[in-house]
Amino acid sequence: MVMQTIGAFFAVISFALVLELPKKYVVLAGGIGAAGWLSYLMVDTAAGSVTAAAFLSTLLVALASHVSARIFKAPVTVFLVAGILPSVPGASIYRSVSYVISNDPELSSHYLVQTLQISGAIAMAIFIMDSLFRLIQKK
Amino acid sequence: MNDKLLVETAVLAGEIMLISGAEIFRVENTIDHILRKAGRETSEAIVFSTGIFASLNDLSIEAITVARRVTGRSTNLNRVYLVNDVSRKLCEDRITVEEAYGKLKEIRTTMQYSRWLKDAGIVGVSVFFTLLLGGGGRDFLAAAITGAVLAVAMEVSSRLRLNDFCMNGISAFLIAFTALSVEKLLLPGIRSDIIIIGAIMPLVPGVIFTTAIRDTLNGDYASGTARMMEAVVIALSVAAGVGAGIRLFQFMGGQLW
Repeated sequence: MVMQTIGAFFAVISFALVLELPKKYVVLAGGIGAAGWLSYLMVDTAAGSVTAAAFLSTLLVALASHVSARIFKAPVTVFLVAGILPSVPGASIYRSVSYVISNDPELSSHYLVQTLQISGAIAMAIFIMDSLFRLIQKK
Repeated sequence: MNDKLLVETAVLAGEIMLISGAEIFRVENTIDHILRKAGRETSEAIVFSTGIFASLNDLSIEAITVARRVTGRSTNLNRVYLVNDVSRKLCEDRITVEEAYGKLKEIRTTMQYSRWLKDAGIVGVSVFFTLLLGGGGRDFLAAAITGAVLAVAMEVSSRLRLNDFCMNGISAFLIAFTALSVEKLLLPGIRSDIIIIGAIMPLVPGVIFTTAIRDTLNGDYASGTARMMEAVVIALSVAAGVGAGIRLFQFMGGQLW
């Protein structure tokens, strides 16, 4: 789990280079991504559900992004898009395709549904955090 | 205050943000804030994912309206950040409109990282994703090779100005084919599945998807659905590419190598 979290940290930093993330926030974004992936792994082990894991980890990443954005007076996007990278359902997309090819429609549709569920969970988590922070801001 | 320059500054700020992948809400908000500095009766900003309209009007002046078509998009968070900073300073009267305009012109072409560093980033994503998914030493090597192929494929397709669908499809095809070939020829026993998953991560439309959600939440349904559609199209092209790569490899299995 430690190795995987380290992997997430450097994966997000590498992705930050591709996205032209501002230099001074690269390490912070990596930290947010790593924390997100660690929580993903913990929820996945504890609850055995990748959808719940994606939901809770995105919630954490979105919270951290909003807080960082307010501290550093930078747009939320800067932290958010790099941080959620590990939760993006690339694996489910791949498995869904690879089972189409090995002629296993059942597993293929299982992973297709999983892709949609994870996307939905990520969307929901970002929704909730955005709305919460809007409530706080209005006061 | 020079109203014309102010409108031009506001639209330029919006244009840079929109191209660099900011949410519609943020773009409109930024333009609006800058326009309000003029103190005119009405100031409006309408932003779509493909263009910007901004207008400033008052009984005492002729209305100033600027329309700007926006083409070509590439995520550049640094520019979003810098424009945000300039607009904040401008609105707090810490810099003049002329200074802000000059700064925005600079920001429009600013690049933080060299091409090589970005290619290294793509390779890094594939290698570290393999680690994230629980891969080991030999998997990293294969992931580095696959990531390098992806970096070259993306470079070539951007030079050829291929459309998104073709670019992602071909890149994903090459990723799958390379990973499987490396497994067969060079490093038998590696986990080609996690290597392919890691290498397609730079292509999977996570960023567009995130922005689409935030646009939709802010009530910008037009660009929300447009971006959502973009994400779906890219995801489908990646899936089609990976599928074609695996299938071709199986089809040729044993015959070519």
